[in-house]
Amino acid sequence: ENREAMLNSKSNRLTEALEEANRLFDGVCRAREAALDAQFLVIASNIGREKATELHSEMSAFDSTAFAEDLLTFMGINRTEVEETDDSEDVPGDFLPSDAWQKMGEEAAKYFRRAPTFHYMMGSFKSEPPVQKQRIERQKKASRGRAERAMPAQLKEMEQSHQEATEKEVERILRILQTHFENDPNTPISFFDFVIDPNSFARTVENAFHVSFLIRDGLAKIKLDEDELPIIEPIKPSERVEEDSRAAERNQVVISLNRKDWK
Amino acid sequence: QVSELVQFLLVKDQKKIPIKRADMLKNIIREYRNVYSEIVKKADRTLQEVFGLQLVEIDTKRHIYILINNLPQAEGQYLCRGKEKEKMGLLLVTLSFIFMKGSSVKDGALWEFLHLLRVYPGKQHSVFGDVKKLVTEEFVRQKYLEVTPIPLTDPPEFKFQWGPRAEKETPKKDVLNFVAKIQGKDPTFWASQYAEANKATT
Repeated sequence: ENREAMLNSKSNRLTEALEEANRLFDGVCRAREAALDAQFLVIASNIGREKATELHSEMSAFDSTAFAEDLLTFMGINRTEVEETDDSEDVPGDFLPSDAWQKMGEEAAKYFRRAPTFHYMMGSFKSEPPVQKQRIERQKKASRGRAERAMPAQLKEMEQSHQEATEKEVERILRILQTHFENDPNTPISFFDFVIDPNSFARTVENAFHVSFLIRDGLAKIKLDEDELPIIEPIKPSERVEEDSRAAERNQVVISLNRKDWK
Repeated sequence: QVSELVQFLLVKDQKKIPIKRADMLKNIIREYRNVYSEIVKKADRTLQEVFGLQLVEIDTKRHIYILINNLPQAEGQYLCRGKEKEKMGLLLVTLSFIFMKGSSVKDGALWEFLHLLRVYPGKQHSVFGDVKKLVTEEFVRQKYLEVTPIPLTDPPEFKFQWGPRAEKETPKKDVLNFVAKIQGKDPTFWASQYAEANKATT
């Protein structure tokens, strides 16, 4: 406390305080008191430094208020006539134009040896290397149609192994085939209608692949109809048993389908 | 290697935050550590000859550098981004105040002075926004100002001084001339500041 009083260069309060502290220190026997004494010394030295600084600048008194006024003038302040109002707040009646600080800055720039900041003229790429994008889960769009055509629906990228994915697909296709046959038991579907996806050759190939599993496992069969075109139908459970014994009757057929044909 | 370093320094300087030697070593020089000083020297040469800039070490213990401008200030419009110009204005005013007051001021005294300029660190300013943050954080980070707490003050007080970047970028003589110009007086009017400003610089 009394900091301001001590700072007054005319006063000797600081010296007096120091002398008193010296005297008191002789009576000190507890550590806490010594600590207080040390604290006091720090504060006293700070005040001493401040006093020295004040002395220093008093030699060439610098009037900061006048400086501020002159700065405002430089920035183009508009000093309007202010009526004497009850000035409880510190609101000045005059105001600074909006470019006041810009003007200041223009002048200031001359005094700094500041390196102009470096920017590409046309902008630049982001300077960090691109973050490795996670492989996005592919969601193939379902191509829909209420028609009897086989519809390979959504093919989500499975996190499971390929093995299981295939099995699931096979199952799914079997179910589609069976569903169709439930609705229309006596009309086998043309193999091509079943398998071909008009929008995707790759999907078509996949479908044929999955159907081949069905055939191999004896869950569906392909026959040739009157026009020598292959048709596919599920095997009813009752038939299945017979199939096993007629293993020799299985034929191998290679159907080739290339992109052009597909189109 | 040299041109990479030059580019690195130029980009790092955009925010005016000083560059550490460790960063230079890690990002650019890497395997070439043994010729580090060669590369730095050549980079500095390039900066000077091509860009008119200079690489200056402001902290010899921790090896921290800044870029300053080697060329004499040209008259004319400066291309500045954002509020750079206005900030420079505020900065110069602050540095002048600190210098004229004996190179060190208490934060209270600085805020009082800024109030006179209609800049109130407690309130949002139309140009500077959060003035307190600008002065105590941005300017300090850029090493234009140095702020030190005054021990055993309650509530805590701080003192402001010139930072190392200001020391290198702004000759005290120029600052005194600025004050003199604003006040319409001769620099010698303030004898001790004049003496201080004209001390031989290291």
